[in-house]
Amino acid sequence: MPLLDIGYRGWHGERTARWTRSLVLASTGIHLIWQGVWIKRVLMFAVIPCLIAGVLVAVMEQTVEQGGLARAAQQMEKTRDGKQMGSQLGINWGKMAKDPEQARHYAWAFILYSLFRYPQAFGMIVVVGLVAPRLISYDLRSRGYLLYLSRPLTPGEYIFGKALVLYFLLFMISALPALMIYITGLVLTPDSTAFFQTWDLPLRILLATTVLMIPTTAVALAFSSVTQESRFAGFAWFALWVLGAVVYRVLWFASNFNVQTGRGGRRGEVFEGMQNWSVLKLFSPYETLGYMQQQVFGLTSSEENVWSPWVVALIVSVLGYGVAYWRVSRVLKA
Amino acid sequence: MSTGDDKPVLQIESVSKRYGTAQVLHDVSLELPTGVVGLLGPNGSGKSTLIKSILGLVSIDKGQGQVLGLQWPSQVRALRDRVGYLPEDDCYIQGLQGIESIQLMARLSGLRKREALRRAHEVADYCDLGQERYRNVETYSTGMRQKLKFAQALVHDPQWVILDEPTTGLDPVQREQFLDRISTLAKEKGKSVLLSTHILHDVVKTCDRVVILVRGKVRLDDTLERLQRPSKEGIHVSVLSGAAGLAGVLSNKGIESKVSSDGELVVLGSGERLSKEIWESSVEAGVLVHRMDRARNSLEQAFLDAVKG
Repeated sequence: MPLLDIGYRGWHGERTARWTRSLVLASTGIHLIWQGVWIKRVLMFAVIPCLIAGVLVAVMEQTVEQGGLARAAQQMEKTRDGKQMGSQLGINWGKMAKDPEQARHYAWAFILYSLFRYPQAFGMIVVVGLVAPRLISYDLRSRGYLLYLSRPLTPGEYIFGKALVLYFLLFMISALPALMIYITGLVLTPDSTAFFQTWDLPLRILLATTVLMIPTTAVALAFSSVTQESRFAGFAWFALWVLGAVVYRVLWFASNFNVQTGRGGRRGEVFEGMQNWSVLKLFSPYETLGYMQQQVFGLTSSEENVWSPWVVALIVSVLGYGVAYWRVSRVLKA
Repeated sequence: MSTGDDKPVLQIESVSKRYGTAQVLHDVSLELPTGVVGLLGPNGSGKSTLIKSILGLVSIDKGQGQVLGLQWPSQVRALRDRVGYLPEDDCYIQGLQGIESIQLMARLSGLRKREALRRAHEVADYCDLGQERYRNVETYSTGMRQKLKFAQALVHDPQWVILDEPTTGLDPVQREQFLDRISTLAKEKGKSVLLSTHILHDVVKTCDRVVILVRGKVRLDDTLERLQRPSKEGIHVSVLSGAAGLAGVLSNKGIESKVSSDGELVVLGSGERLSKEIWESSVEAGVLVHRMDRARNSLEQAFLDAVKG
């Protein structure tokens, strides 16, 4: 028996707006994943490439005098090795060589795009693969959705709250480090006009992050919602990326190998043109998203005006969120 | 147990729900007053579907009404801020401590973070969660989970509490404490409660009114007091032994009585004179009377009658 039992007491107070309830769900989700040791480690590792990119921007700004980048690009454009390097890495020397102001913009955009495309994309795959499978499947297994949805939350707001958890993580991995690199570049450059030449890059960073966030979250939530076993959802997630990359590369080499080697080209030439758009990229989410980000950073050649990856990403997003919504609405009837 | 507000808590008309080919609710019309109402029915009678429909967790095919003064089902989201729901299912948010779970439910109902934590502790104290509140909910026993769900249902101070099989998994002592809490909420705090259960003892102990649902139809809706009133007045006599002997002595005096299967006696009639006759007859028969009460029908019989139709 308690020494003092004050019994039940009523509560009278002001309630928060209903639209904030999804944020509560998201903050709880973030609180839960933050308890995991691995997620902290992966996030820490995800920051390391940004330090390298930051140093690269800083060194470039400190060492290359005004117009130096454009002149270097002109030289690279003339040599065969330079051309091949440009083709393999997707660097358009001609665009850089046009004028010194464009060269800086192009170089910064290329560094940021490379950050998104390689280390941060892999970080994203790992982080989402660790976190997303549990987001809905755990609630399905423990029937936690009954607790959530008996509050003033619709299935749509529930899905949105869960999506916000992944949006937050992806922002932490992609946008935040990229913005920090951009700010580092501005602070360290001796050229006071740098901001006016690169002011649009923060907006491009945010757009590139959105391009990454929306479809990947949709797919991850769809996987998580179709099973009560998070390991199955995790397996499906990683399998999608690995198989997509393998299928794309196999098909790409199959359709280009003979052409390249038949001309007696060197070994490296087989990689040429991989940065350009090919419909085969649609087999791989990694390549499709990478190309969309390339477009966002303005690094595709001007004659390419490709909409199909955007359309596919939109369809995948709608389908992904739709599947998650359908599953959560459906379990209530069981 | 009324709050003094005569408006019904729930007033719904012609509610129907079908899952595939199975008609789960057939034109259910119901008016529930304030106080504690027991919702009874055999398995598959549609109790949980009715509750989920009220909360908007399942969409109904037909029907409308008012719940707590709000249009139903159009204002069901606003309604959820005013209703506390304890689900029948074993459900919890994996990875959270008990107190965090209660706080989360409070926040989802619109309490600010710090206030939600303060309120969560207050309700955890009321529901006797003790120090267990700091343990992860996955490690809770069934009884603890019932207490946790009760705390979650109460944390936003709802006007109406819907409890779906709340005493499942509780030991007898915890069950009595739980039922006392329900009675306290209704009598002292003016809460209305809908108690869906199979345990008739829980209904007898706490409810003012009983609704019996059979195959998706309301078969019976009446006050408990009226349901327990027998068709003929009588006195229920509990004896330690020898009920048949006492019945024989009473019969010789022209007093009609019935011996029940559990060895107790119901003497038909009423008044002080009859009581005196029973006492005198018990002395004659050498039977020790343990207790005398006004005779009542058992709720069990009313339930069985309703189910048989």
